[in-house]
Amino acid sequence: MMKKIFISRDLVSYSNQGQRVIPEVTAAAPATLSLVFGAAVIWVVMAILMGVGAAVLRGTVLDPLLMIIALIGISMPVFWVGEVVNLVPQSRLHHSFLFSWVPPLGYTPFTQNPVLWFKGLVFPWITLSIMYIGFYARVLRANLLEIQNEDYIRTARAKGLTERRVLFRHTLRTSMITFVSLFGLDFGVLVGGGALLTEVVFAIHGVGFLTYQSLTGLDLPVIMTTVIYGAFFIVLANTLVDIAYAGLDPRVRPA
Amino acid sequence: MIPIPAKSDTPDIPGRPTHDIGVARRDCPPARSGGRKALRRLGAATLTAGALVAAGCGSSGSPSPGSSSAAAGHTGGTYTILANSAFGVADLAQNYTLEEWQLAIDTHDGLVQFKRVGGTAGTQIVPDLAASIPTPTAGGKTYVFHIRKGIKFSNGQVMKPSDFVTTFERQFTVPGPTTFYSGIVGASKCGNAAKTGKCDLSQGVVADDTNYTLTIHLTAADPEFLDKLALPFAYVVPASTSMKLTGNNVPPGTGPYLWQSYNPNKEAVLVRNKYFHVWNAEAQPAGYPDKIVEKYGQTVSDEVTAVQNGQADEVFDGDVIPADRLNELNGAQYAKQVHVNPLTADWYFAFNTKQPPFNNLKARQAANFAADRNAYVKIGGGPSLAVPTCQVLPPNFPGYKPYCPYTAGSDTTKWTGPDLAKAKALVKASGTAGMKVVVNTDIPDKALGEQMVSDLNKIGYKASLQALAGSIQYPFVQNSNNSKKWNIAWSAWYQDYPAPSDFLNVLLGCGSIHPGSDASPNIAAFCDKSIQAQMDKAEQLSVTDPTAANAIWAQVDHAMTDQAPWVDLYNPKQIDFLSSRVHGYQWNPQWYILIDQQWLSK
Amino acid sequence: MAIALTESAEPPGQAPDLEPEISGRSPWALAGRRLWRNRIAMAALVLFLLIIAVSFAAPLYAHDIAKVNAFANNLSGTTIIHGHRVPLLQQGGGLLKLGETPIGPTWDISNYFLGADQQGRDVMARVLYGGRSSLEIGIGSAVFCCVIATVIALIAGYFGGIIDAALSRLMDIIWAFPVYLLAISISTVLLTTSNGLSIGPLHLVATSLWLPTLIIAFIYLPYVYRPIRGHVLSVSEKEFVQAGIAQGASDVRLIFSDILPNIVSVVIVLLPLMIATTILTESALSFLSIGVQPPNASWGTIISDGQDLLYTRPWVAIAPGIMIVLTVLALNVLGDGVRDALDPRAKLRADAVDRARALRHHGARVCDLLQDARHRPGQADRGSQPEPADPGRDTPPVRSRPPVPRPVRPDDEEDLHQP
Repeated sequence: MMKKIFISRDLVSYSNQGQRVIPEVTAAAPATLSLVFGAAVIWVVMAILMGVGAAVLRGTVLDPLLMIIALIGISMPVFWVGEVVNLVPQSRLHHSFLFSWVPPLGYTPFTQNPVLWFKGLVFPWITLSIMYIGFYARVLRANLLEIQNEDYIRTARAKGLTERRVLFRHTLRTSMITFVSLFGLDFGVLVGGGALLTEVVFAIHGVGFLTYQSLTGLDLPVIMTTVIYGAFFIVLANTLVDIAYAGLDPRVRPA
Repeated sequence: MIPIPAKSDTPDIPGRPTHDIGVARRDCPPARSGGRKALRRLGAATLTAGALVAAGCGSSGSPSPGSSSAAAGHTGGTYTILANSAFGVADLAQNYTLEEWQLAIDTHDGLVQFKRVGGTAGTQIVPDLAASIPTPTAGGKTYVFHIRKGIKFSNGQVMKPSDFVTTFERQFTVPGPTTFYSGIVGASKCGNAAKTGKCDLSQGVVADDTNYTLTIHLTAADPEFLDKLALPFAYVVPASTSMKLTGNNVPPGTGPYLWQSYNPNKEAVLVRNKYFHVWNAEAQPAGYPDKIVEKYGQTVSDEVTAVQNGQADEVFDGDVIPADRLNELNGAQYAKQVHVNPLTADWYFAFNTKQPPFNNLKARQAANFAADRNAYVKIGGGPSLAVPTCQVLPPNFPGYKPYCPYTAGSDTTKWTGPDLAKAKALVKASGTAGMKVVVNTDIPDKALGEQMVSDLNKIGYKASLQALAGSIQYPFVQNSNNSKKWNIAWSAWYQDYPAPSDFLNVLLGCGSIHPGSDASPNIAAFCDKSIQAQMDKAEQLSVTDPTAANAIWAQVDHAMTDQAPWVDLYNPKQIDFLSSRVHGYQWNPQWYILIDQQWLSK
Repeated sequence: MAIALTESAEPPGQAPDLEPEISGRSPWALAGRRLWRNRIAMAALVLFLLIIAVSFAAPLYAHDIAKVNAFANNLSGTTIIHGHRVPLLQQGGGLLKLGETPIGPTWDISNYFLGADQQGRDVMARVLYGGRSSLEIGIGSAVFCCVIATVIALIAGYFGGIIDAALSRLMDIIWAFPVYLLAISISTVLLTTSNGLSIGPLHLVATSLWLPTLIIAFIYLPYVYRPIRGHVLSVSEKEFVQAGIAQGASDVRLIFSDILPNIVSVVIVLLPLMIATTILTESALSFLSIGVQPPNASWGTIISDGQDLLYTRPWVAIAPGIMIVLTVLALNVLGDGVRDALDPRAKLRADAVDRARALRHHGARVCDLLQDARHRPGQADRGSQPEPADPGRDTPPVRSRPPVPRPVRPDDEEDLHQP
C-alpha cells in the first residue's frame, strides 16, 4: 500500500472503488487550508489584542474580564459551538436582515464563487478560532507579565522610554517567541486535518472530514493517506517552528 | 476478527450494499426522523464486493398526480438534484444503488424496460432495444431478441447485438452482483472471472450482427428473466469497453442523455446525447431538461433549505429529511412540492436462528408479540411515513394478503397493538427467560435498536445494544463467523423488481445462506425445508400460471410469518421534495421519481 | 534523610527548655491557605462540586422528582401538562402530517423540565445522568492518566539511560498521532470490531464506561508524562537525593520518599486541567457516537441526539452544552487557582496585595509603597500561567521529614523554602 501511495500514486479507496485516494485528499486540501488560514488570521489578531489589552489594563476590572472571556472560549466544546452558531443564522433569524446573507452549510471553492466562499466560511472561522483565541490570549498575557520583570525591560524603562514603547518594541517582541512556537505547532496540526470536528459540523469537505469518514467506515487506504498527510504537516510545522525559534530568539542561536 | 473487507468477493446473490463512507444507511430510505445522515446506497464496491444492495425500490401503488403527456414546448433548463453523498463507483455493471439507477435509465438502454410512466402501469415490461418481447422457447430456456437498427451510442458508434455479449460478460468480470444472470449458459464457469478478467458466454449469449438478433440460452426457465434484463446491469455498452471496472468513467450509452462527468466528491453532470432519437416512447421517451446535475456533499437539512429557496430542484429521494425539517414541509405553501409514496420495502429485525435464545420458535414469537410497532413507526417518522406490518411481503405486491398474527385482539389482518401478556407467557414456555440478548444495529438506526432493547427487557430478557458503523454493519451480520456475537439484527430490504421471490426466497430461502461470506442475504440463517419446497413449487408454477403461483406465494408468506424468522417492523414511505418550478412529477414503482420526465417552468 | 541544620539547644536526655514551640506551617498548608483566599478559585470549586452533586443525584431526580426512566424508550407515552394529557411525541400537522415532534420544555421541574427527546425520554433526567457518565469518565481518566504517567515518569526520570530513552520514545510515538485521531481509531476498533476489550481475564463490554475512560487516559499519557519527567530529572539532581544515594538508600525508597513528594505538586496542578481536557474529549467522542454507547447517556450523546431537533427543540442540544461549558470553566479557573497557590512567587504577590490593603487602612499613599514593592527584584504580578507546570519553574522541594523543629519567626516563612 505504501508503494501505491508514494510511487504509483494510484491507491484506490475501499468504499468508493472508482475513487483514487490521493486526488481525493488533494482535492479536499483547499477547503481545509481556507478554513485554517482564515481562522488563524482571526485568532492571532484577536489573541494579540486581548492578551496585550489584558496586560496593559492589569489592575482594572477589564483584565480579569478579558481572561474570563478567554477561559470561556477554551471551555466550549467546538462541535457544540458549531451547532449553536448554526442554529441562529440558519434557522431562527435566517430571514432577518442580520443573517439573511448566510449561505447553506458547505464549502464553495474560491475559484468558483469568491463571495460565497467568504460568506460560507465566516461562521466556521469564528467557531474554530474561539478556542484558540482564549488559549493564546492567556499565554500572551502571562508571558508579557513575566517579561516585565526582566532586567532588560528595567533598563529600557530606566532609559526613559515610554511605557507604550517598552511594551510594543521590547516586551511584545520577546513574548512572541513562545506565541509563535505554539502557533506553529497548532497550525501544523490543523492543516494536517486536526479541524475535524469543525469540518464535520459545518459540512466542509476538507481533510479532517475525510479522515473522520474514513475512520468510522474503516476505509483503510483513505485512513492511511490522511494520517500520512497529517503527520507530514505536523513534522513540517515542528521543523519550521524550531527554525523560527532560532531566528526569533538570539539566545538560542549558536554563538 | 476485524471484518476488513475482502476486496474480491464475487457475490452470487443480490445483497444489500453496504454503505458509503461511513455515513450511509440503507438504500431508498424513507424520510424518517432520527437519522441525520442520509443513507447512501453504495454499489457493490463498498467494503466487500460481495455486499450489494437491492436498489430497486418501488411500489405499484398510488398513481401520482402529474401527467406524462409530452409537452414539447417545455424542454430546456438545468435540473439540479442535491444528494448527501454520491453512489460510489459509476460502472453500471457493478453499481447497485437507486441513486445511480435513476440516472442510468436516462443514459442507457437494455433489451427491455419497465414502462416509463407513473402508477401501476409502470411495472409493465415493454421492449426497448429489442423490437418486441419474445416468448421464450425450448421450455422457457431460449429467448430470441430482434435488435433495433440505427441506434447509436453517445460517442457515435452504432449499437450492434455483439455489444450485448460484452455487456453480459462484464457482469462477471467486474466484481458485482452476478446471480441475476447466473442462469445464462456458461455463466457457471465464470466463477472467478473477476480475477482472470475473462468470461466466455459465447454459448449463452449468441449475437448475430448480420441479422441483428440476439439469442440468450438459459440453463433453466426463469419467469423473472425479463425483469432482470430491465435492470441497469444489463444495459448495453460498446463491445470495446474494458472488461475491468471502469471506475468513475461511465461507458457510453444509447439514452437521451450522456454522462459528461462524475466526481463523487462534487457532482455528476448529464447533458443531451445528440445521437439519440425516440424509437419507443414507452420505454425511453425524450427528456425535457437540457442538463441534469446531481450535486453531492451538503447536509440534508441544507438540501431542504436550498430547495425551499429555489436554489435547487430536488432533494434526492433517498436522503432522509431530519425530523425538525419535516414539520416545515407540512405547511400549505409546500403542498404542491411534497409527494409521499409507499415503498415496497421492509424494515425489520432478523433473529439469529442459530443461537439461543432465538433458535427457539416460542422465543421468536414472544418477541413479535412484544414489539411495540407504534413506537417503531414513530421513530420512522410517524404514521404518514411508515405503516406497521408483521409479514414479509409488502402491500401492493404480487402475492400479498394482509396477515398479522402478532397483535393484541383477535383480528389477524392488521396490527393494532402489542400483547405483552402473551409474550411473557411464551417466554416462560420457551424457558429462555433471563437470557442475554445482543441487539445489533447500525449507528444511524440505533433508536430502533434501543426500542428493541426496551421491548425485549419488558418480557424478561437482558438485552443490550451493539451499534456498528453504517458501512460495517451489513456485511457483519451476514457473515456467519460473527454469529456468536449478536442475537437480533436490524436490516432493511427494498425490491429489486416486483416478484415475491425477491423477498421470500432471497431473504429467507435455504439457498441464500452462504457460510463465511459477507454476502449472505439470509441474515437470519433461516431454512425450513417444507416452506422451501413450497417456494420452489411457486417458482416453477409462475412460468405457466402466475395467478396460481401468487396464491402459493401468499401461503408461503403466511407460513413464513408464523415461523417468525424476523420481527418485521414497518413498510416505509418515500418523500419527494421538489422546488416550485418543477412540473410533471410521476412516481414509477420501480424507479421512483422519473427525473427527465419533469419539466421546469421559467 | 534530613540533616539537622541547627543543633538542639540542650544535650539529649535533659528536659528541653520551655521556650514556646512555634511550629512552622508546611508548604501544603500554606498553599491551602493561599487557595482558600483566592475567592474566584473557591467559587469555581464550589460550582464544580455542585455540578458533581447534582449529577450524582440523577437517580434521585429521576425516580422521586420527575418519576421517569431516563433510559427506556417511551415513544408512546403521555404526560399531563396544564391539566391535559398530551402525547410525548406529536405527529406533524398540516396536510401531510409528516414527522413526529417531541414536547418542548415545560419549565416544570417535576415534569419534563426541558421537554422530551426523540424517543420520549426526559431530557433533564438524561442531562443529569449524562453528567454522571461524563464526570465519571472525565475524572476517572484524568486520575488514571496522572497516576500512570507519574509512575512511568518516575521510572524514566530516575533511572535514566536506556530505560528513559525507551519510555520516552514510546511516549513520543503515542504523541505523534493527533489526539482525536488516535482516540477515534482506537474507539472504532474496540467498539465495532471486537465489541469491547478482552485481555486475558479482563473483559470489558462495549457499553462499559471503562472503555472510554481507558482510551482517553491512554491518549493523554504523553502530555502529562513530559512535564513530570522534567521535574523528576531536576529533582533527581538535587543534593539531598545524592546524599540519600550516598547513604545507601534503595531506589524504591528514594523514589517514594524523596522524589515523589517533590513532584506531587506538579501533578496536583495538572489534575484539574486534565479533568477539563478529558471531559471535552469524552464529549467529542460521544458526539461522534464512538464514546459512551446507548442507552447510557453522556453530555456528548445528548448533543448528538439534539442535532436533528435543533430547529424545533433547541434545548435538547443547548442544555448539555451549557453544562459542559460550566464544568470545564470551573475546572480551568480552579486549575489556575491551584497553580497560583503552589507557586512561591504568587505568595509574594498575595502578600503585596495584603500590604497594600493594610496601608490603605492607615491612609498611606498606596502608590509610593507599591512602587517600592514593584522594584524589589522578583516581585511582581505575574498573572497566571496558562500552561501546566513546565520544567523551568521552581517548585519548592519538600523534605520527607521536617528537620528537627527549630524556633521560627512567623513571617520568616521564606527560610523554610531554602534547600
